[in-house]
Amino acid sequence: MQPRTEATLGRLMASRLWKSIFRSGRGTSTLHRSMAIQQSVFLHILPAKVRRRMLNFDATWYLGTLTLGTFLVLVITGILLMFYYHPSVPQAYADMKDLRYVVSSGLFLRNLHRWSAHAMVLLAFAHMFRVFYRGAYRPPREFNWVVGVILLLITLLLSYTGYLLPWDQLAFWAITVGSNISSAVPIVGQKIHFLMLGGNQVNANALLRFYVLHCVILPLAAVLFIAVHFWRIRKDGGLYVQQSEPAKGAGEARVSTEDSAQEAVAKP
Amino acid sequence: MRTPNKLWNSWRGLFRDPIRPFGISSALLLIVLAIAPAKNHFSEWRHYQRGYLKLIRNRPDALVLQRHFEPGIHQIWLPDLGVVDRCETCHLGLTETSLGDIRMQPWSRHPVIPHSMQQFGCVICHRGQGAATTVAAAHDSTLSPDEPILPARYDEASCGQCHHVALEGTPTLNQGREILARYGCVRCHAIKLPDGSAEQPTDEPPPLTHIADKTTREWIYAWLKDPKSYAASATMPNFLLSDDDARDISAFLIANSVAESGDTATLKVASATNADPAAGASLYGESFCASCHATQNAAGNLVGGDLGPELTAVGTKVKPEWLTAWLRDPKTYDGATSMPHYRFTDQQLALLSGFLESKTNSDLLANVHLDAATPEQLAHGKQLVEEYGCAACHEIRGVSRPDNYGPELSRVGSKPVAQLVFTTGMAETLPAYLSNKIERPRSFGPGLHMPQYTFTPAQVDALTTALLSLTDRSYTLPAKMRIAAVQQTAYEPAGRAGHLMTDLNCMACHRINGHGGDMAPDLTWEGSSVQKQWLDAFLKNPNTLRPALIRRMPRFNLTDEERATLTDYMMTVYQNPTIDRDAMPLRGYLPAMVEHGRELFYGKYACQSCHMVDPAQDKGYIGPPLSAVGSRLNAEWIFLWLKNPQQLRPGTIEPDRDMSDDDAHALTAFLMMQTGSGNKGAGK
Amino acid sequence: MSDYVAGMSSDAKNSPKRVVFVTRRTSAHVRSVDEEQVQTYPEALFRAALAVQVLVIALVLLSLLFNAPLEGIANPTVTPNPAKAPWYFLGLQEMLHYFPPIVAGVLIPTLLVVALVVIPYFNINIRPDGVFLKSRRRNLTVFYIVAASLSLFLWFFDVYVALAPTLMVAGFMLIAAFSAPQSPDRFRRYLVSRPVSWWIMTWFLLELAVLTVVGTFFRGPGWSWVLPWRS
Repeated sequence: MQPRTEATLGRLMASRLWKSIFRSGRGTSTLHRSMAIQQSVFLHILPAKVRRRMLNFDATWYLGTLTLGTFLVLVITGILLMFYYHPSVPQAYADMKDLRYVVSSGLFLRNLHRWSAHAMVLLAFAHMFRVFYRGAYRPPREFNWVVGVILLLITLLLSYTGYLLPWDQLAFWAITVGSNISSAVPIVGQKIHFLMLGGNQVNANALLRFYVLHCVILPLAAVLFIAVHFWRIRKDGGLYVQQSEPAKGAGEARVSTEDSAQEAVAKP
Repeated sequence: MRTPNKLWNSWRGLFRDPIRPFGISSALLLIVLAIAPAKNHFSEWRHYQRGYLKLIRNRPDALVLQRHFEPGIHQIWLPDLGVVDRCETCHLGLTETSLGDIRMQPWSRHPVIPHSMQQFGCVICHRGQGAATTVAAAHDSTLSPDEPILPARYDEASCGQCHHVALEGTPTLNQGREILARYGCVRCHAIKLPDGSAEQPTDEPPPLTHIADKTTREWIYAWLKDPKSYAASATMPNFLLSDDDARDISAFLIANSVAESGDTATLKVASATNADPAAGASLYGESFCASCHATQNAAGNLVGGDLGPELTAVGTKVKPEWLTAWLRDPKTYDGATSMPHYRFTDQQLALLSGFLESKTNSDLLANVHLDAATPEQLAHGKQLVEEYGCAACHEIRGVSRPDNYGPELSRVGSKPVAQLVFTTGMAETLPAYLSNKIERPRSFGPGLHMPQYTFTPAQVDALTTALLSLTDRSYTLPAKMRIAAVQQTAYEPAGRAGHLMTDLNCMACHRINGHGGDMAPDLTWEGSSVQKQWLDAFLKNPNTLRPALIRRMPRFNLTDEERATLTDYMMTVYQNPTIDRDAMPLRGYLPAMVEHGRELFYGKYACQSCHMVDPAQDKGYIGPPLSAVGSRLNAEWIFLWLKNPQQLRPGTIEPDRDMSDDDAHALTAFLMMQTGSGNKGAGK
Repeated sequence: MSDYVAGMSSDAKNSPKRVVFVTRRTSAHVRSVDEEQVQTYPEALFRAALAVQVLVIALVLLSLLFNAPLEGIANPTVTPNPAKAPWYFLGLQEMLHYFPPIVAGVLIPTLLVVALVVIPYFNINIRPDGVFLKSRRRNLTVFYIVAASLSLFLWFFDVYVALAPTLMVAGFMLIAAFSAPQSPDRFRRYLVSRPVSWWIMTWFLLELAVLTVVGTFFRGPGWSWVLPWRS
């Protein structure tokens, strides 16, 4: 079975159709593999080559990757949930019941979205602390750290705006408690509070506002900043690896105990 | 420490050569992703649908039932009523008439009800969570706005959400509402109805302003300790007062009372004391006191009406001077009383008060010995009167009526379980909470003031049902579904006759123009209905119209002038504008016509099954006897009544027989010939 | 200069090489060398995909086993006690319990964000050596003053929840201050080498964790203490 499957796969990948879609074509050479990255609109933001050391699990714990992974899960489940959701009172709550009792696997979909959202907040925080403790924020990566802080705030806002959408007691009072804090801002506090909720208390207007923020504005902002984040990883010299760590599998790499801030690796 | 380390290392190892682990994790991911649809496939409701198919498979009516069955989720969606009921997804046999033999839930048939399920859904009556498709969530969810299923014994509560008028099919609910009004519940607990009106009390708690004129401190003490010890039918609840508290309250009430000169009277009627002891009892009977007042007979049963207080031991309670003055004119002591002003002579007053004073209960006050009250005790008594909200029911000098003394109950039937406090060992449901609160109000914690009533279990259920009908839903349902209770108008008769009617408290029993009681006939169109002579004679000596009834019109001993005033007023004012009462003559009908009417009476319409024309022969007793109807009613009224009884008196049980004019004419002629015992054979 | 080999199917190393211009005044000193590089595809991508897949499997299992909470419909007239914000804001809500909203709700979060943003722009954060190794006297004095005033401040406002992590971090810093860089104890050696930014971030992390956990699990009606396992 195995060789035959491989042969079929090989024939498929050699076909004209395949080539018309994947420009890199078939092949295991460095060139082909570089082209697989460079010729794809989704992957070309990544460098074609990376240092072997940064693939070690210990280097990053893959926290950034995992945060992106939860974001992707949230986008997919979120779009599916949008098919069933009306941002109006009290239909929003009825939709939760429908998701739970009528929609096929609707309960699972909502569960996955909710738990992934919590996981994303948790992972974003973990990512931040991990980056800090490894010193990866140091120049030349300082701006990317700032982008990361912005992404953390967007993540929190995404989670917070999504919290209201089920329109249950939990949602209503969590948002009420949270939004009341904004009234404490001197002078313009009340204005901010009103602007945020579209009224003086959490109501149908607030639900609509939070819905638009949650489903359109904040995800777009997140995608934008994620793109910048990834682009800057590449432009700032790839994922940061402490010089003090031995390069496993890279036998001849020498070790410098000097300050790594001055390290500069030119990339294509 | 080794094992976690090893695990950690193998975890890190995954990232050394990812290809094989990636293949495995891809397969795993596909497997776990497939679990969700699989779970969906084995959901509860599918299980019940399979069970239903199995149940009907081998039945003779299987073909029909299978044709009716459609797989999938079924729902009744009524946006106007806020109903999304998916109960029929599992309850598949609800409307299958041939499944009457199935007792197994969820597949049994629904009993026949006056409403269509497709128009009302399920949760409006049964509560529960209509949107849910799992057993637990559909029946037991307590998350607002979901409510757990209403136990079947309280089902009538759901009718009460729309039907604010008493329905024939809801005796429990009707009884509960009556208790709410009669036992003073609504004096402490406001109950507002969705149409903006409020539930009104029907009891008459006496004012305590002049209480010292009426009774003694000892009696008040005994009464406060346990009202039932004085009168088994007492509507006053037991406040479970300590001896000291009862002592202080009784002291305060007596001290707070002001004497009223008209409240006491002494008579010097020598003959009364010499009269036959039975004379008082017979006057009591002739005056039909028992229509309103009950007394306990030798067997311990209460005999008589419940409109006024029980009189079994009234001699122990009231002072003779007060009783005499009260019987002479009750309005002096209590302007709002329902007790009519009888025109008793001094002789009669002496007889009646003597008779009533002889009704005593010597045990009641035997052990009550109260010392003169100290100022501290009086102050404490007043404090207690305020604390216990006595003034919510009784008028007490110097104590203002407390507003909203008890919690409002307008929506108590929808109170979420999460907001209730339960005592131990109690089912944690709203009906259980309500019935416990009614049965043992003080068991819910110290410092509660709700008094102890003595209700039978049936009364508790009825009251709980009435309270459960006060739901949020009754407010949110469309207003057009609401069937309002009959509201009392503010009608008052005018002029001298009006004054007289107020004095006699006619409206305590009769309703006129939408105002008054429902114990006796509605008099709104009495002038169109009866003959003047009959009315005058009836007021002079009200013989009973319906022997089957215990309650009768009392004899008020009116003067000729008073009678004339009343009769004139009623014959002139209480006329139906569409009826000309002289359109048909009282006498002079052709014998042939009378005979034809007679045949119709006994033959075609079989009126004798409910009415009596010849008491010796006919057996009907459901309707009033008609042996003297010809000297009581106007011919035109009888004619119109026969044509359409409900138009003249909405709600009467007289059937509308859809008579032709000729038949109605003939019957009227026959009935007009029935002029009482003197003309017994007139029609024959 | 370059060892590029032209050719389409070459598997040879074709990484670009560094060019160094050495001026007369400095001597050549190689500080870093080229190290082994691998192709992003498939080496990095498959590892990333593996990591994400493992996470998704975990999340899917979690979703199959535990349902997302859904309470009764929103009702402005029925306030749950306590009304809690989402868990990641409960640290702030805990602060709100001690300080006026202007401080806990506006000042603290703003300062936090500003502090996070400026981290890479302050030299002190870049310096990698142990806090008490260079200019020890001055740093010790600053440490005493900051730790004491912060603790007193928190103690004065009864913020014991935040005081505990502060004292803990201060305690470890004291150990670091009075340990030799060549201490035989590994943990002490580790503490000694920690720079000042590390200490601040650790303090922040501890505070965040403790406040969030307390706010999530240990706060009941009226924001009073409750024990999560006793309810």
